[in-house]
Amino acid sequence: MLNDLIWIPLLPLLGTLVPLFASRFSRSACAFLTAGLPALALVLVLQLAPQVFEGETVRQSFGWIPQMGLELAFRLDGLALLFTLLILGIGLLVVLYARYYLSEKDSMGKFYAYLILFMFAMLGVVMSDNLIQLWMFWELTSISSFLLISFWGHKTEARKGARMALTITGAGGLALLAGVLLIGNVVGSYSLHDVLASGDLIREHAAYPVILVLVLLGAFTKSAQFPFHFWLPHAMAAPTPVSAYLHSATMVKAGIFLMARMYPVLSGTELWFLIVSMTGLATLLLGAYVALFKHDLKGLLAYSTVSHLGLITLLLGMGTELAAVAALFHIINHATFKASLFMAAGIIDHESGSRDMRQLNGLWKYMPYTATLAMVAAAAMAGVPLLNGFLSKEMFFAETLHQDSLGSLSWMVPVFATLGGVFSVAYSLRFIHDVFFNGEPINLPKTPHEPPRYMRVPVEILVALCLLVGVLPTFVIGDLLYTASAATLQGAVPEYSLAIWHGFNFPLLMSFIALAGGIAVYVNRKELFQFQAQFPENDPKLVFEAIIQMIHKQITRFMELAENGSLQRYSYMMLSLAMVMMAKPLLDLNATAGHRPQIPVDAISITGAVLLAIGALATVIWNRQRMVALVALSVVGLIVSLMFAKFSAPDLALTQLAVEVVTVILLMLALFFLPQTTPKESSPKRVARDLGIAAVIGGVIGTISYAMMTRPLESISTFFLENSKTGGGGTNVVNVILVDFRGFDTLGEITVLGIAALGIFKLIARMRLYMPASDGDGRPWSKDSHPLMLSVVSQSLLPLALLVSAYIFLRGHNMPGGGFIAGLITSVAIIQQYIAHGVDWIKARMKLDYQLMIGSGITIAALTGLGSWFFDRPFLTSWFDHFHLPLVGEFELASAMLFDLGVYLTVVGATMLILANLGKLTTSERPVLKEHD
Amino acid sequence: METWLEGIVALILVFGGAFLLIGSIGLVRLPDIYTRLHGPTKATTLGIASLLLVSAVVSSVLQGTISVHELLITLFLLITAPVSANMIAKTAMHHDLPAWKRTQGQELIEPASRQAAPDDHQEERDTKLP
Repeated sequence: MLNDLIWIPLLPLLGTLVPLFASRFSRSACAFLTAGLPALALVLVLQLAPQVFEGETVRQSFGWIPQMGLELAFRLDGLALLFTLLILGIGLLVVLYARYYLSEKDSMGKFYAYLILFMFAMLGVVMSDNLIQLWMFWELTSISSFLLISFWGHKTEARKGARMALTITGAGGLALLAGVLLIGNVVGSYSLHDVLASGDLIREHAAYPVILVLVLLGAFTKSAQFPFHFWLPHAMAAPTPVSAYLHSATMVKAGIFLMARMYPVLSGTELWFLIVSMTGLATLLLGAYVALFKHDLKGLLAYSTVSHLGLITLLLGMGTELAAVAALFHIINHATFKASLFMAAGIIDHESGSRDMRQLNGLWKYMPYTATLAMVAAAAMAGVPLLNGFLSKEMFFAETLHQDSLGSLSWMVPVFATLGGVFSVAYSLRFIHDVFFNGEPINLPKTPHEPPRYMRVPVEILVALCLLVGVLPTFVIGDLLYTASAATLQGAVPEYSLAIWHGFNFPLLMSFIALAGGIAVYVNRKELFQFQAQFPENDPKLVFEAIIQMIHKQITRFMELAENGSLQRYSYMMLSLAMVMMAKPLLDLNATAGHRPQIPVDAISITGAVLLAIGALATVIWNRQRMVALVALSVVGLIVSLMFAKFSAPDLALTQLAVEVVTVILLMLALFFLPQTTPKESSPKRVARDLGIAAVIGGVIGTISYAMMTRPLESISTFFLENSKTGGGGTNVVNVILVDFRGFDTLGEITVLGIAALGIFKLIARMRLYMPASDGDGRPWSKDSHPLMLSVVSQSLLPLALLVSAYIFLRGHNMPGGGFIAGLITSVAIIQQYIAHGVDWIKARMKLDYQLMIGSGITIAALTGLGSWFFDRPFLTSWFDHFHLPLVGEFELASAMLFDLGVYLTVVGATMLILANLGKLTTSERPVLKEHD
Repeated sequence: METWLEGIVALILVFGGAFLLIGSIGLVRLPDIYTRLHGPTKATTLGIASLLLVSAVVSSVLQGTISVHELLITLFLLITAPVSANMIAKTAMHHDLPAWKRTQGQELIEPASRQAAPDDHQEERDTKLP
């Protein structure tokens, strides 16, 4: 079973939970347990590797929403193999490293959980065989990166850096989604397998430029390409293991990965070359130049990462097959040396307390071992021979020479590339010389010393890899690079040689120019620093913040305009919109009256209608006398429920009645907190406008109702009527619809109800409201808040009311009633107790946990639904049978009743949670009107 | 249905109807809120109770089983009506609504303006359980 491909990302997903439980053990145990599942995943990958090396693409897919072309599909080809090895391998090293890096104060479990979550997301990105799925994991990497950058959330720069990274990569992710959707539209499938096979189709499609730009926007933002590069240096506020893992080795490579993945589909056009290579070149130069001037160790490494990402992008943009191979080679090399450099920087920061290169000097004496490791890695970054960076840089230089797409200006590409190399050597040299030599440390918070033994192990492994690849490239990396190239190009891999020595040629010369130039630049750095100091520092963070602030201000202004808290305005806008939308179909309607014969009018209906109109009018006329208005409103509700009863909808009538009671109580509670006298605030003009709208809307709704009711209606109600008894085992069709036919709807609805109640509870908890000490006429509230007669009688009514509610509940399946109505009746009975006795009295006597009630209600309903799976039936299939018991007689049992019990509990819990807590507000610290004479 | 039963039923119906009518007239005609309360709470309750009784008898005879719904409704009505009346009267007194001039014992009505302010701690002491 473990041979399944899905286990490779799934194991880390399960692994996110491990550190949360393991954090209670010792730190080493926590790290060890955390590493377990990813290590197992690595073993799985290695197990599959031979197959991939043979050129096979391992694929596995599960249906997700097949109707929409969504599937859970994974593939492991050469490119994915390369990245999975990087992600899992470096990830494990980072886990080991972080165990020593994190301090006692940091929550280790949380950190590891985020880190492994990122690992899962990243594995998902590289292994996805479906573009939508790829995008989903892509966004998940952004989110987990956000969590990791803001891990030290008490620091402003961590929060701001995290927000910036999320904004930029998230925006890019949206662009990518648009691009992916377009691709799916063109190809007719989101499966990567199909997409990779339809390169020509996409390239020749009219939408190609749009697709290209959108996908590249996603890739460039993720891989910190100019002009979106600025988030990466600010992401350095993250703990260093995160920088080593996400922001040098893996996540920023996701954009590169995407370009490599889509290489057979999108590359090979003039547009691709122009955008990708020019962006890459600009990023390469800018990053390398800025890195030189950074005093912060991690800042230097961040800009150097930007520059190297630019280099890889440039290689991919060149469009030749060899350049793509070089790009892949450099991905591996950069990941190894940059991760080890970040780790070394973290060690220096950890053991000396500073990352500022103006303070850090001469550390060679204090930590010779670490210094050696860092120097080797930095040399690899500079491209010194016998190290891996040299090899890929050679290939890069060679490729720039074969570039002729810029026509007569093509000579500029190798020149700029060499210039980038010069800066790269210069900042690498600065990293080595400034930190480890150059005099003595200045004002360091701690005396630097070597780190714990095992903190160095990850660095050692990575540096060893740099050396091994540098000396024995074909032996160490040959197969992997070859299969990765084959997978990227989706075709024949060109001839290339990984030898160290190619004889005296141009690339070698360029390397030497870069080395010599870099040394020269570094030696003359004082002049260069002075030159650079003339320019005002252009902090992209400030620009970004300004843009964010501007957007925020605009949005706020718009929100204030649209959402000013005036209910009149909301209804005005909403009703006007409704009117506009209704106008067209109504104007198209030829005749109002339909052909259906009209039901004869009787005196009861007329009386009801007149009372309804009077109630509505009275509500409006006495709207300033709140109690009168409320009573008038309840008349409307009562008439409506009577109408339901008359037109054979007893369930609705019962529900309406119960809801009416609860609503009136709720309104009375809410009105208590509002000013006791309603101010006259509408101008005559406004009144006229509102009257006009009300009249028109009323007329329109009346017309629609008339038109609807005079037309014969074909609906599915006959189906329900016919199948209710046979299919659902109940004669009350309404109830059978609720708990059976459309039980899934009901489950969703009670869940929403529960969430809404919890939301309201959360909103009003600890709320302090102004509480009037007297009513509108200045009269103090009555001293006798719980009159004796009311209390005693209410108490004796409770069992009776509960009996009624139980009766309504039990008969629900066959006669009017059911869980919802029973729940409301129970709620009313309990509210009655609250009113009669007060919240405190009840709290001491009735231990009802309403949150628990909601939770258990939804759980019972959901479990009832799941229960049908045990009998191999679809979710929420109901079961019923008839039984006979002596005394009781024949009765029916249905699984729907259990479901209804869930509904009942949720309704009681939700209603009471809201009302009891709103009621509690009125009793806590009720103000007292000072006695005066 | 037997004729004698019909006779009794009709008698009770007239009896109940008369009470309902008188109660409603009282609600309209009586001079102040305290006297008006008698109409809907006493007379009308009795009237409705009679009607419900009739309904119980008739449906029991016609369907052959004893119908108890109506008795239950009567019970609820008889329990709740006095409490509502009590609450309304209390509110009226709290609001200082004037009583008809011929009402006896008016000096016992303690208007809100003369009441002491509610004591916050009283409630706490009341609710504290031993």
